[in-house]
Amino acid sequence: MIKLYTFLKYFFITFWTVFVVAPFLWAVSTSFKDFQSVNSKVTYIPWLDFEPTLEGWRVLIKSPAKGGVDIVEPYFNSIFVTCTASLISIVLGTLAAYALSRFTFKAGFVRNNDITFFFISQRIMPPIVLSIPFFIFLSTIGLLDSLLGLVVVYIVLLMPIAVWIMVDFFNRVPKELDETALIDGCNPYQAFYKVVLPNSIPGLIVAGMFCIIFGWIDFFFAFILTFTEVQLLPVKVVALNSSITPWWSLSASALVSVAPLIIVAFIVERYLSKGNLSGALK
Amino acid sequence: MAKIDLSNISHTYNPLDPKPTYALNPFSMTWENGMRYAILGPSGCGKTTMLNIVSGLVRPSKGEILFDETPVTDLRTEDRNIAQVFQFPVIYNTMTVYDNLAFPLRCREFTKEKIEERVKAVSDTLNLSSFLNSPARKLTADQKQLISLGRGLVREDVAAVLMDEPLTVIDPDLKFRLRRNLKEINEQYKTTLVYVTHDQNEAMTFAENIIVMDQGEIVQVGLPKDLFEKPKTTFVGYFIGSPAMNIFHSTVSSDHEVKINDTTIKTNSNLGSLKDKNVKLGIRSEFIELAEKERSNTVKIKLTRVEDFGNFKLLTGKMGDLVVKSKVEREKSIPDGELNLYFPPEKCCVYSDEKLV
Repeated sequence: MIKLYTFLKYFFITFWTVFVVAPFLWAVSTSFKDFQSVNSKVTYIPWLDFEPTLEGWRVLIKSPAKGGVDIVEPYFNSIFVTCTASLISIVLGTLAAYALSRFTFKAGFVRNNDITFFFISQRIMPPIVLSIPFFIFLSTIGLLDSLLGLVVVYIVLLMPIAVWIMVDFFNRVPKELDETALIDGCNPYQAFYKVVLPNSIPGLIVAGMFCIIFGWIDFFFAFILTFTEVQLLPVKVVALNSSITPWWSLSASALVSVAPLIIVAFIVERYLSKGNLSGALK
Repeated sequence: MAKIDLSNISHTYNPLDPKPTYALNPFSMTWENGMRYAILGPSGCGKTTMLNIVSGLVRPSKGEILFDETPVTDLRTEDRNIAQVFQFPVIYNTMTVYDNLAFPLRCREFTKEKIEERVKAVSDTLNLSSFLNSPARKLTADQKQLISLGRGLVREDVAAVLMDEPLTVIDPDLKFRLRRNLKEINEQYKTTLVYVTHDQNEAMTFAENIIVMDQGEIVQVGLPKDLFEKPKTTFVGYFIGSPAMNIFHSTVSSDHEVKINDTTIKTNSNLGSLKDKNVKLGIRSEFIELAEKERSNTVKIKLTRVEDFGNFKLLTGKMGDLVVKSKVEREKSIPDGELNLYFPPEKCCVYSDEKLV
């Protein structure tokens, strides 16, 4: 029975590993192929099955004038927009969440939970509903097709995530912690940043991770609200496609696009394995 | 260190309600400098609210708080120089034990030397010296509570140290030692200590003055001896002492006598104005004596149970439908069947409308 269990366990782990890793391996392999290697017959192993080439990767940094697509600028645009919007969302979202967790708000029938739901409802709505108001708004203030305009929109999109995660997190931080800090001589602001915030680092990391992921992968608003001046990575990657699908450069761009998220995942995983995220507040 | 005056304090958590319910009914009280107080009462009686009002975490609905005659009601918690320890350990998880203990001093900008000196003194008292460099979150629950306690004691100049059932999570042996340490600290530094508990033994052994509360009301303030021997209300009689005070429904028969069923009991209370009225007679089981034969102030009971508690025996008997409990020395031989119990008049308390006559 135990042997069967062990067998099934390892079988499942192996199956799942293959399921997760195979697409990456496929993308890595394809990114080094050329038209011939992709379209002639099924090939897997470089140098044996096919002759590897860097053409798929070169296209990504070559200027359009030379037949490339140049994703370098969109790449840095994406990094700038995602990081700036995530950072601002985390700062504002954390402050809002702390207030929602610690103070009681009453305005007519509106209570704390209603305000929290209002934040989350921004994410429940289908994005298309927000697209026209955002378009008109950015156009009115002259920020359409600009990095700043995208940052503003992404803050609106990411802040609900930060608020949602951090409200729940602050609710689990005992109120006595703030009270103890006040008794020990902190003013309310010091109690927040000296005591509550350091205890909430795990929550901040989770919220930050979600903001970065959702900011990085957004295609819809980047596509609707930008034209020629500014482009973000997801839009540029999609623009790679043409009548003949360039699987090699698409694979290379997919790997480049997913790399920052893998780095983030590794950092968070290292933090998780130290036990800093789990049970920090017991 | 300061004298703390609570003047006409009352508090409700629903002030906008047309008929607000009061967690604390109006009261006035003075906590003298350097004394040890225990606030004793059942859960939900307003003990914690009272502490939070003093520390400034709760602003009283009415009344005024004065530290050394200076009003502090509008002062924020951080400006009151009060220390408070909660029931469950509250520690700063991200800091070491040393940093936890030093935190209140750093917030008040003490010098590095002074901080080191005080942290060392407190950690020695609380047996935390060997953990000073460990992360606080890695300690056990009772060690964490010691840190909380340490943060309360690390400042020598606090107006008072308020403790809200601080030893709940501590094991009994350490609890005993800590109570003794707290007493020593109080005697040495003259720090006012206020200790909230629902454990009467803790209150009796720790405090010089006990404040008994019930349903938002202060029912008696006094020395442990007074609370035990002359409880001002039947509630205090029930709440203090183990077993609770014997309370019997009775009728006043003369100026100093009451009748329980058909037995007349003489008391030292003046009952002239209560003639023929229904009252309650209270007497501690510790004060009831075994009588060899029937005489004045004895009641006849039918023995139903004898429990041996090691250092004493607890007799339970019935007088009609009334239950009587009496503590007797362990060595005493207890005859079976009917017993005569003597109620010393000076130990009998008479209660009219639940209040001591």
